[in-house]
Amino acid sequence: MEERDIIERLLGRDESGLHDLLRYYGPLMRYIIAPIVTDPHHREDCLSEAAMRVWDRVGQFDPSRGSFNAWLTAVARNTARNYQRAIQSHQSTQDLDENTPSPQPTPEELLLRQERQAAVNRALARLSSEEQTLFYRKYYYLQPTAQIAAELGTTERAVEGRLYRLKKRLRKLLGGEGYAGT
Amino acid sequence: MREPDWESMDEQAFEELLESSVTQPPPEQVVAEVTPWRLATKRILTGIALTSITLNFFWLNYLLPAIGMVLMLLGFRALRRENRCLSICFGLAVLRAIHLYATLIFNSTIWFSMVSSSVLYGLTVLNLALTYTQLLCLWGGFRAVQQKAGLPPHAGSAVALLIWYGITGLLGALGYSGLILPLVMLVCYILILRSLWKLSRELDQAGYAIRPAPVRVTDTVLAIAIAAVVVIGCLCGLLLGCKYPMDWQAADPAEHSGVEEIEAQLLDLGFPDYVLQDLTAEDIAACEGALRVVWDVDDRPLNNGRIAATVVQTEKGQSVTRKRVYDVEELRITGVAVELPGNQGRWMIFHHFLWTVDPGFYGTESIQLWPASRTTLGTWHSTGAVTGRVLYEKDGTTYTAPYYYLGEQTFTSSSIFWGEETSSDVFAAFSMPGTGENHRGYLAYPMEAVEESRLIDSWFNYTHQRTALQYPAMTAMDFRMSGAWDGNSPFRTIQDALQFRPSEVD
Repeated sequence: MEERDIIERLLGRDESGLHDLLRYYGPLMRYIIAPIVTDPHHREDCLSEAAMRVWDRVGQFDPSRGSFNAWLTAVARNTARNYQRAIQSHQSTQDLDENTPSPQPTPEELLLRQERQAAVNRALARLSSEEQTLFYRKYYYLQPTAQIAAELGTTERAVEGRLYRLKKRLRKLLGGEGYAGT
Repeated sequence: MREPDWESMDEQAFEELLESSVTQPPPEQVVAEVTPWRLATKRILTGIALTSITLNFFWLNYLLPAIGMVLMLLGFRALRRENRCLSICFGLAVLRAIHLYATLIFNSTIWFSMVSSSVLYGLTVLNLALTYTQLLCLWGGFRAVQQKAGLPPHAGSAVALLIWYGITGLLGALGYSGLILPLVMLVCYILILRSLWKLSRELDQAGYAIRPAPVRVTDTVLAIAIAAVVVIGCLCGLLLGCKYPMDWQAADPAEHSGVEEIEAQLLDLGFPDYVLQDLTAEDIAACEGALRVVWDVDDRPLNNGRIAATVVQTEKGQSVTRKRVYDVEELRITGVAVELPGNQGRWMIFHHFLWTVDPGFYGTESIQLWPASRTTLGTWHSTGAVTGRVLYEKDGTTYTAPYYYLGEQTFTSSSIFWGEETSSDVFAAFSMPGTGENHRGYLAYPMEAVEESRLIDSWFNYTHQRTALQYPAMTAMDFRMSGAWDGNSPFRTIQDALQFRPSEVD
């Protein structure tokens, strides 16, 4: 099955495209969703939601900016994060009272967050390809240490050690000249 | 704006910050690498490629399969719990790895060359059967992965590789030695590997459904451990498996009792005493009634010597000549011929060697005998078996041992001068201990003249092993039989001949 064919059918609002999307890219989307949506009962729901988001936003996919796989993983990952957040907030709203402050960040906090993100991205660019992959596995795909260890053919302890060294390096890079939120 | 204090930020806050900081999709290379499947399949396919090809130079015929097998083992280890077929693949990879690494270690000892061809054939067939079954299971495993992911199963290139192995095995069994078919097979092999590689890419989507099995020992540690076992095993093999087990016994001081008269007679005829003392009573007795003794001694070097330059004054000026000179000549070779009474010319020939200087290393040694009956065809014939023994001294005691092997070998050697040749020669194979002194030995044989006025021309080809560092390990006898040139090899051959015309010697 050609990737282009699926995309064209999705763009043409052909529902068979959605069917084939799930058939061919379902394993990838499940792989991305599984570590983020911790409750297995919610995963299929999340997958359907992610597929619907692809259906809605396939027009935004620009091949010149990256592969379909990369775009799809980003959609699946963001959907899963939102889904998990929604579950968590639904569970915690029952405990909220009137005095609880709004979870929305203030403009100052937003600005600070943007600057920190920029600093982290600059530091990330200085990591080796292997370190970058480990970083994204842990902090973007939110994969548990056990999964990372099994997929890299190593032990959890070794992954923890590598993550520890990675964080130490990042702290150093972020704290160094030109990386602190200037 | 206030700068965040990265250094003092607590671990949880830092982790949360990192997690919230990456909002953009990762680079393409990261997306491609975050998969549970690709690393394992890449290793399996590379492993298959490396274990299937044979490049006979720079030890690549050993190194590539050794590396390929580690990759295959690690690849299948990750997928061992995915489905039944892949778990059988892992089991077979373990068996094949044991076979390969044990063979590599065994290859570092001289015992490998002594394994019978039927055992080797059996092991080859077994390994081929394991390879074939593994490919069959790999095909099944790939299909199961596709089925699990809900994709239509197809793995035609794995089947093509199965057929390729089948035809290669058949050609090997039939002893095919042509050039065209192997070339065709090589091209097919490259195409099949390319197709397998494409298949693994096609399987990428299905591969996301895989859950690699957790491991207790990391891939790196496992690979290093295997490499260490093989290297240490080979070193032990080179050091401990480089000698024949010799049956050394202290010599009986009274072993020559009963043959003193013959001994005295031989000494009177000029038989060298240091050779006579080493002979067995039976070989001395065989010289009863000796009429005359002819002997010859030579000191021969087994070291590389040195290049000495000599300046010679000529009419045109100075000229420098360079010549290899040997300051030390370690091996003393003595040839003795004893004429015995009888109608026709009957002789007993002795070839004796003595290490006058310790060569530094004794591994396997061999003597190839070219008796007079071989070198001067039709003039002499053998009248008995070749006999002999080896000796050395330690702490004032003489130790003796029979040769590890003494007998005739039929072999095919190839030489750049004569091409392939099949010959039958008498060989003596033995090892000397690393301790002691005066390591020595001899070979003896009786012969009788077929016609009168003959040349006695008896050759003694001594091959000495200079170092244990050789892979695969070879014995001096195997080296000599291979017909290889000993230039930079671990072996050095010295040739010596006892040559004279009985009618011209008093």
